[in-house]
Amino acid sequence: MWNSPAPPLAELIARRKPGHSLEQAFYVSPEVFSADLELIFGRHWIYVGVEPDLPEPGDVMTIDVGPTPVLLVRGDDMVVRAFHNVCRHRGSRLVDEPKASVGNLVCRYHAWTYDLDGRLLFANHMAEDFDRSCLGLKPVQLRSVAGLLFICLSQTPPEDIAAMDEAMTPYLAPHDVPNTKVAHAVDLVENGNWKLTMENNRECYHCSGNHPELTIPLFAYGFGFSPKSMNDAEREEADRYAAMVADLHDRWEGDGLPSRELEHLGDRITGFRTERLPIDQFGESQTFDTKVASKKPLGRINDPRSGGLSFWTQPNSWHHFMSDHVVTFSVLPLEPQKTLLRTKWLVHKDAVEGRDYDLENLTAVWTATNRQDADLVARSQAGVRSPAYEPGPYSPYTEGLVETFCDWYLGRLSAGLAA
Amino acid sequence: MTDPSPEGTRTYKVEFTRSRRIIDAPEDTFILTAALRAGLRLPSSCTQGVCGTCKCRLVSGQVEMNHAGGIRQREIDQGMILVCCSRPLSDLVIER
Repeated sequence: MWNSPAPPLAELIARRKPGHSLEQAFYVSPEVFSADLELIFGRHWIYVGVEPDLPEPGDVMTIDVGPTPVLLVRGDDMVVRAFHNVCRHRGSRLVDEPKASVGNLVCRYHAWTYDLDGRLLFANHMAEDFDRSCLGLKPVQLRSVAGLLFICLSQTPPEDIAAMDEAMTPYLAPHDVPNTKVAHAVDLVENGNWKLTMENNRECYHCSGNHPELTIPLFAYGFGFSPKSMNDAEREEADRYAAMVADLHDRWEGDGLPSRELEHLGDRITGFRTERLPIDQFGESQTFDTKVASKKPLGRINDPRSGGLSFWTQPNSWHHFMSDHVVTFSVLPLEPQKTLLRTKWLVHKDAVEGRDYDLENLTAVWTATNRQDADLVARSQAGVRSPAYEPGPYSPYTEGLVETFCDWYLGRLSAGLAA
Repeated sequence: MTDPSPEGTRTYKVEFTRSRRIIDAPEDTFILTAALRAGLRLPSSCTQGVCGTCKCRLVSGQVEMNHAGGIRQREIDQGMILVCCSRPLSDLVIER
């Protein structure tokens, strides 16, 4: 098939119509995809996993950020570090498995051996003047924000991760992520550009028509609406919700659980937003029956009716923290029209499957929701690649955060091009 | 196990299940060295207990291992050994 080359990226950025979805090239062009990997995923803090992915010294996790293989490893000092997953000998990838446990980090090609701090310990048959000390693994910047692991491939990472850490730690710490365990993890490949996955996450306009499971615990009203588009019954529900938010925020904050919205998705390089959201009915957790899925409460949360703390980050994550479990999502671009969505469910590290939680019940809402979202993303991709596609208008009521995502994305691309 | 030689060195039988070989391994010799002498080629590199290339599962028997960080305690707990830095203390069966 013949493809017309996309216009230069700077021109695509400059001619974007505010309040409208992006042009086709942003979702299909290999050139834009390369720019996304280099300027967005190469220069920003990328959410990749949680400390409980690496519970013990010697535990290793690997992640590919586009063409860049990275490994995370917990050292004997219990500190998690990140390195390029590339041997300093002839460049072989060091660790192949998504998760592994090692004594040292050994390249199986010629057995070059690195300790968990990345120092080269052993390489035989090398020249007399061979200096091992110059050939340690190349470090990758890593920051744990209350147990959530962010990496940055740039040697000069955005400094405002410190501001996010400072603002978010009081919100996240009560859930004590470091003392959870990964009860379940699923990799789902979505047939769409990574930005479609993110845009879909940034609105709940689609929720009432597509997520019958998620909208049992979650109020779609929490994500904006136009009163004119609602009937009396819906307006009543929205009013009930607004009263609930005001009341519960007071109560939760009184209990030491920061709850009020913080919104920095658009005005920070390391953009984020958070809010503790009420859960409907029993008010406990994102489950079919809205009750906790795990009997062991997390951290220092005593009241199961503590709602769900949602946390969103630019460019690639979202998370929900309840009193009993956490669901956490990392988005990694694979190809211009393929995206990896990695979902993990965390419960208290001492919770026992079958006794304290039922895996099916724990994972049911988001398993269904992910499947529905993957379907929506694939449908979006199938449409935006048509010659008939042209950018369409966002709802100012329900799609404000989609606009914020696009704005942030284009701004960061521009900054990258200018640098 | 054989009787001690005149110098007092015991020799044990070490079976490698996948290679289908049984070799004689003196108690004062690392298993990797004994295997090498017997013509068996086990994956290995550093021979110092650092790299872990020679990691094998010990199906039965006891060894004395002096590794240098190439194996984790929990791997040892699961029955793994580094044959480059382990000497036999009994007849052994090794999955390799």
